[in-house]
Amino acid sequence: MSFSAVLHSEWIKVKSLRGTAGSLIAVLLVTLGTTALAFATIGQAEADDPGAEPLYDAFYALNFGQIAAISFGVTAMSSEYLNGALRISLAAVPRRGPFYAAKIAVLGGLALATGLVTAFASFLLGQSFMGPYAIGLDHPGAVRACVGAGIYLALLALFAAGLTTVLRSGVAVLCTLVPFVLIVPFVIGDVAGSVAEFLPDRAGQQILHAHPAGHLGPWTGLAVCAAWSAATLLAGWWALRRRDA
Amino acid sequence: MTRIDVLELTKEYGSTRAVDRLSFAVEPGRVTGFLGPNGAGKSTTMRLVLGLDHPTSGTATVGGRAYAALGEPLRHVGALLDPQAAHGSRTARAHLRALAASNRIPARRVDEVLDEAGLSAVAGRRVKSYSLGMRQRLGIAAALLGDPAVLMLDEPSNGLDPEGIIWIRELMRRLAREGRTVLVSSHLMNETASFADHLVVLGRGRLLADTPMQEFIDTQVQPRVRVRSSDDAALAALLEGHGYRPVRELDSGLDSGRWNVADARVEDIGRITARAGLPILELAAQEGTLEEAYLALTADAMEYTARNAPPTETAASPREEARQ
Repeated sequence: MSFSAVLHSEWIKVKSLRGTAGSLIAVLLVTLGTTALAFATIGQAEADDPGAEPLYDAFYALNFGQIAAISFGVTAMSSEYLNGALRISLAAVPRRGPFYAAKIAVLGGLALATGLVTAFASFLLGQSFMGPYAIGLDHPGAVRACVGAGIYLALLALFAAGLTTVLRSGVAVLCTLVPFVLIVPFVIGDVAGSVAEFLPDRAGQQILHAHPAGHLGPWTGLAVCAAWSAATLLAGWWALRRRDA
Repeated sequence: MTRIDVLELTKEYGSTRAVDRLSFAVEPGRVTGFLGPNGAGKSTTMRLVLGLDHPTSGTATVGGRAYAALGEPLRHVGALLDPQAAHGSRTARAHLRALAASNRIPARRVDEVLDEAGLSAVAGRRVKSYSLGMRQRLGIAAALLGDPAVLMLDEPSNGLDPEGIIWIRELMRRLAREGRTVLVSSHLMNETASFADHLVVLGRGRLLADTPMQEFIDTQVQPRVRVRSSDDAALAALLEGHGYRPVRELDSGLDSGRWNVADARVEDIGRITARAGLPILELAAQEGTLEEAYLALTADAMEYTARNAPPTETAASPREEARQ
């Protein structure tokens, strides 16, 4: 069985589903839209704030774009768990290792490409509204933050995809993950220092800071986030290999 | 070789045994009907052959190899499992394109099978707009995609209109004539009788029969003769005198005026009545149907027997009742 043929098949699957392709485009549109809205209105006012951090604040819209990235990971994987679609897929590609690897590769590749475009585009778009406060890509850590933000979005999509494989339901994953990402950081936010730092979103966002505080540096933070994704992907692989389709 | 071989196959889900030490082979060149009541293990067996479910013990192979070991399996085995399984938001063409790509089947083959299944005009529509019959046709198109030597179809005539049923019947017979192995599960007996050459019958996960269809009917259903005379009472007395046990035949609960004689041949009954000079209005051999044969066989094995058994078409003769 040729792996590139399986990749090709997965690529056709992703692009032929409106919901999946739509959530991928939403990563870009939501992030750019929110950036434009926020920076055009209160961008310069907020920049005067004593706690302002020009680089980290430039990625404010990522809070919304990451929800779309999670949705992409979930919908792309959960389409296999509707009405026994997985049986048709596995009848065509019975070796589950190559099947899962191809799916993850296509998902991850698309999420990474979209994430990188989103990160750079939203950074540049946001700064175009900042007038005298604007920073450029030559700002310390700016390129690192843009690249990191793209990787971060891809890691979240993979995290969601792995979890979907374990739970075999998109709804279940969205119901746990979205509140988790949106609400938990606010609740435990500044209260708990060390534990919250190691949650996937907190750890991954370390790379958006020019000078990150806490235990994790920019790249180690991203590595912790990657470890979370790897853990759910491995759990997904274990579930897919063991279970009856 | 393109045989399907099932050997000592067992599958347990928790404490229920869906398939129980099942062994049979499906040979090429004929249509094998796969029968059994709901929950008998037909679909489970098909999933086990496709490697979708892991057997508790035993093996299932196609051409001597496990399904997962077939290089590009769609080129060897085509399967229709669940017509609802195609994602509703995809178009039929995209659904088949994705399947074809994974097994390096050329894209033009997608249009060929769409055409064969009569879906060309709607190939660009999303599957959720399809009727059950159209989804069934799409599933069959997917099974044909790799021009496979082995076909496994689970309830293929479900939801098809009369033209569709004729189409699938002719298709299956043609595929068998071409030397392919065709396994078709169904719960419609008349339908199965119209296309199957051979039968594999399951009950509670066990093999109940693995025989040619006609042989199956002949061993399960006694030959019967129906006979009608203008002199009813004389006919009954004559038959009883010759050791037959004629039974009054009912037609929708009403007396049809006919006698139904088990274990009899028209040649014998004709000779007896002629010698007695009885005027005969009707004399016919009654062939057993697959449905009768199937019900006779599975009566004990039924997992979900209806509480109220349907009334039988034959009832004891009035004379017999009077005697009791």
